[in-house]
Amino acid sequence: MIEANSLTKRYGGRTAVSDVSFRCEPGTVTGFLGPNGAGKSTTLKMLCGLAEPSGGNAAVLGMPFARLPNPGRRVGVLIDASAQHSGRRGGEVLATSAQLMGVDRARAAAMLEVVGLDASAARKRVGKYSLGMRQRLGIAHALLGDPEVLILDEPANGLDPEGMRWMRELLRDFAARGGTVLLSSHLLHEVQATADRLVVIARGAIVAQGTPQELLGGGPRTLVRTADGGASNRLLRRALADAAIVASEGPDETLLTEASPEDVGRTALRSGIALAELRSASDAASLEQLFFQLTADTQPHQHSTPAQNLEEALR
Amino acid sequence: MSASTSIGFTGRSSGRSSSGRVADDRRPGLGRLTAVELRKMVDTRSGFWVPIAVALFTLAGAIVAAANHGGRDGTLSHVFHVAAQPAAFLLPVMGVLLICGEWSQRTTLTTFTLVPSRKRVIAAKFGASLIVSTVALVACLLFTLLCASLLGHATGGVGSLSLQVIAQGWVFLVAGMVMGLAFGAAILVSAPAIVAYLLLPAVWDAVVGNINGLAGLARWLDSSVTLAPLTQQAMSGTQWAHALVTFAVWIGIPTAIGWARISSGDID
Repeated sequence: MIEANSLTKRYGGRTAVSDVSFRCEPGTVTGFLGPNGAGKSTTLKMLCGLAEPSGGNAAVLGMPFARLPNPGRRVGVLIDASAQHSGRRGGEVLATSAQLMGVDRARAAAMLEVVGLDASAARKRVGKYSLGMRQRLGIAHALLGDPEVLILDEPANGLDPEGMRWMRELLRDFAARGGTVLLSSHLLHEVQATADRLVVIARGAIVAQGTPQELLGGGPRTLVRTADGGASNRLLRRALADAAIVASEGPDETLLTEASPEDVGRTALRSGIALAELRSASDAASLEQLFFQLTADTQPHQHSTPAQNLEEALR
Repeated sequence: MSASTSIGFTGRSSGRSSSGRVADDRRPGLGRLTAVELRKMVDTRSGFWVPIAVALFTLAGAIVAAANHGGRDGTLSHVFHVAAQPAAFLLPVMGVLLICGEWSQRTTLTTFTLVPSRKRVIAAKFGASLIVSTVALVACLLFTLLCASLLGHATGGVGSLSLQVIAQGWVFLVAGMVMGLAFGAAILVSAPAIVAYLLLPAVWDAVVGNINGLAGLARWLDSSVTLAPLTQQAMSGTQWAHALVTFAVWIGIPTAIGWARISSGDID
């Protein structure tokens, strides 16, 4: 259980985080989404007692984080995977924290195995780690105390696609056992398949929160494209109207409707219209569109960076 | 890898939450925190070599002072005085790094999420410094005894080392390391902290010592002057007064600044 109540952070005259409130319930994964510099890390640091709020307050497991007697045993935190001493060996990082938390040494080794770092990686100094290895070490560190809550800042950063799939399974599994997960990201696709709820932050303020379905609201449910374009589109539209289904023009010669893909498909079959595309509209693409709309003012070109295009292509 | 995902952590389903938690949830004691700080001091590449360097230089100092005493007696007290110098120089550097290492490597993010009470972390670092400087003193004494008895051939024997001088040597090493810790806490960046630690007392002497009428005051705060007798002779009341004022100022002021910076600042 994590609660942020009107968290506000001002640096001098600049407001970095303004009146941020949300709750994360046990058994759920919450995605904390926003462009770089939107205030995600500052908010997470206020949750973990690393930064003092200028206003509002936060509670983890019903109390301020700093009041937890042995926080590592109840809350796993990863704020920055690169914030490790470069001259310390990976295994030693975990062993030291295990000693501090009073966790069995064997668990440190077991956690390395869970995140896929082998014995030779454990002996390596963190300075020689790739970013992906550091993230894995950071996740192992967060899991070390067998916590009930996970707070992870950009944990997918630097993970390869296989690593991201692995982390998704790990977090879903953690939540399925009753754990509470809060993870931040500046990339929607990193969290959309994992998160039950999304909290979207832009310019320091929450701009939207809820389940992906809630965020998409009463928008169109189905997108359909006929095989032959214009004329058959009109034909399909008439057939849908006969079946009491209202359709509207979508982008790129598509039709959008509130009916289910199944109903649209049956209607098309009855009228003998060939379809090129038929899918749910409340999917990744439309959620992504919403995300960019919500956060657009800060980063108008974010959706077209080469890195992201490449990432999409690799996915 | 994904096959092993579910092993290793027990999760949080109904049963474990109340009874199993209580034992886990106790606040780690200062003893454990101190042990962890000691471990963190030596488990990095640089951290591993600095204490070894201290030991080697101490041994070298003891050998040179005992064997090659060019006119001066290779007595225990002389060997002790020389052997204490490398530690007196390097322990404060270790003290600075004990604090600044966390800030420069940004391990503060981990340290202060595991132990939100920053004062307890600082207290543990203080405790670790006490232990390290005590170990250094013991090493210094052992090397002194070893070298003076094996290599020393002063006329009239090696003499003796009074308990008071040994105790003063301990104060010398502890205070030096704590001074390093204090400068580290006040400045939080290794290089400037080390420079400040080395230069401030000397600059103080150069500036204030040259002002007519203030030369006497400079004497009280120039650590190279006021602390030197600690390993040389049983000190007089005035010498103690000088040393204590030096400690009070050069430990007290940076500690106050450091305490304020660390206990309330945001951690990046």
